[in-house]
Amino acid sequence: MRRYDAGFAALCAGVLLIALPLSAHHSFAAEFDGNKPVRLQGKVTEMEWINPHAWIHIDVVDPDGKVTNWMVECGPPGILIRRGFTKKSLEVGTEVIAQGYQAKSGDFRANASSITFKDGRRLFVGGSNPDLQENQGKH
Amino acid sequence: MIGSRTRALPGRAPLYLSAEGVQMIRLACGLRRCGLPTLMFLLAVAGAVTIPSAGDAASPKSGTSAAVKAWTPPKTSWGDPDLQGMWPGTDLLGTPLQRNPNLGTRALLNDEEYAQKEARTKRAADTENQAYDKPGEPVSTGSPIWWLERGKPTRQASLIVEPPDGRIPPLTPEAIKLGEARDAKFHLTYGVERKVHGSNDSWIDDVLALVEPYESNLYDRCISRGVVGSILPGEPGGYNLGNQIMQAPGLVVIRYEMIHETRVIPVDGRPHVGSGVRTYMGDPRGHWEGNTLVVETTNFLGGKLGLLSHGGGTPYSEDLVLTERFTRVAENTLNYEAMINDPKTYTKPWKIAFPLHLNPNYQMVEYGCHEGNYALEDILRGAYAERTAAERVGKAAK
Repeated sequence: MRRYDAGFAALCAGVLLIALPLSAHHSFAAEFDGNKPVRLQGKVTEMEWINPHAWIHIDVVDPDGKVTNWMVECGPPGILIRRGFTKKSLEVGTEVIAQGYQAKSGDFRANASSITFKDGRRLFVGGSNPDLQENQGKH
Repeated sequence: MIGSRTRALPGRAPLYLSAEGVQMIRLACGLRRCGLPTLMFLLAVAGAVTIPSAGDAASPKSGTSAAVKAWTPPKTSWGDPDLQGMWPGTDLLGTPLQRNPNLGTRALLNDEEYAQKEARTKRAADTENQAYDKPGEPVSTGSPIWWLERGKPTRQASLIVEPPDGRIPPLTPEAIKLGEARDAKFHLTYGVERKVHGSNDSWIDDVLALVEPYESNLYDRCISRGVVGSILPGEPGGYNLGNQIMQAPGLVVIRYEMIHETRVIPVDGRPHVGSGVRTYMGDPRGHWEGNTLVVETTNFLGGKLGLLSHGGGTPYSEDLVLTERFTRVAENTLNYEAMINDPKTYTKPWKIAFPLHLNPNYQMVEYGCHEGNYALEDILRGAYAERTAAERVGKAAK
């Protein structure tokens, strides 16, 4: 069940206050369109562990039943690994929700300011690595 | 080589860590270091980094060093000081290259300023480790906070330690004229004003003209960040700050995580290559002065890369001489400094200096960057799409 309390709400409010701009590898403003926000919910079909940024592919089904494969940009593989996220952490078929902005080109690509599982848990937080001892027996 | 492209494996459901688990990862991710008083003492003993004396320091503890013995670094089997290992710059995040002018010649933060910096770092780290997102929360077009890496904040008020104000010296009139000439040429060629100053690269200019006002540079293109740009942290945030040193008889190799640069530095006394050979990373030659590795790099390509993070900023000239010093002053501490001498570009030499900390658990992955660089493709396709749309509107108006 989703944990939601006043402390948590305060933490969330804090995100907006301290979300510093990063020295990103490239200009997001040049790649993505700030006028085209997207919220993509779908099943993972593939994850590309490539530099400078990893990409997750997800199948998104629209209300008419049409399936579109979207690519969602993630952080660099080195960071994912150092945060405990491994190739085993995200299985094909897992449902995720990505929020971000569509590519200016109009392609089915988006940045991912937020990627969560369906229950709101964030991907890449701390470690999603099932191999870590701390995570044994927690699933 | 193409980066590993894999399908996620079927298996167990993804999990997230408890607070203890997060703490363990933080430990594994580079929080090993000596305390500040120890560090200040070691810096003073080594004399290798121009960090303020006890009189300048805000901490009253920094003058108590007299009786402790200097640490002797280990040697390689062939007798050179052993600097090998992973020395990520994670602790440098949050320390600006140039000092806040309000601090004047004070090179260290005082206790109050440092406490504020620590609190900011902790707040940001706590945020990164939130397990849940709030539904409906606005998302930004920028890169999310969970890309960040951070270590223990330093007391250094700036990475520049010379001149004493910790700021880059003024440009020479020659460098200012060159910059203006580049901008004027750009304006003449493309009919738009150049908003990103710097590089003299026709390919970049083509892209700039297309995607103004966005920047596109040698870093975006996965080509190079230059020597100094490879070791500086990004500002205000950054990631992929790994540095690895390897040694062989007559050679020292330095590998920087982001973009892939690896410098192979002869330390066998051979001369520099001829002046006609010019590269982004220059031609390095090393020698040992006691336990300090001194590397002098020349033969840079002028007018391409700058000396800020990722090779940004005013481009240096082909006359740049970069003198770096690497001194291992403790098992876990490597003092780094770089003296920048480019009289065609800067009115005075200037120096950056900071300690790096050993982290054997720091993992660097192969950095095949160009092959996976969808961003550049997206930027160009986006720019073409915008231009086409604008032309369509223009035609319809006629």
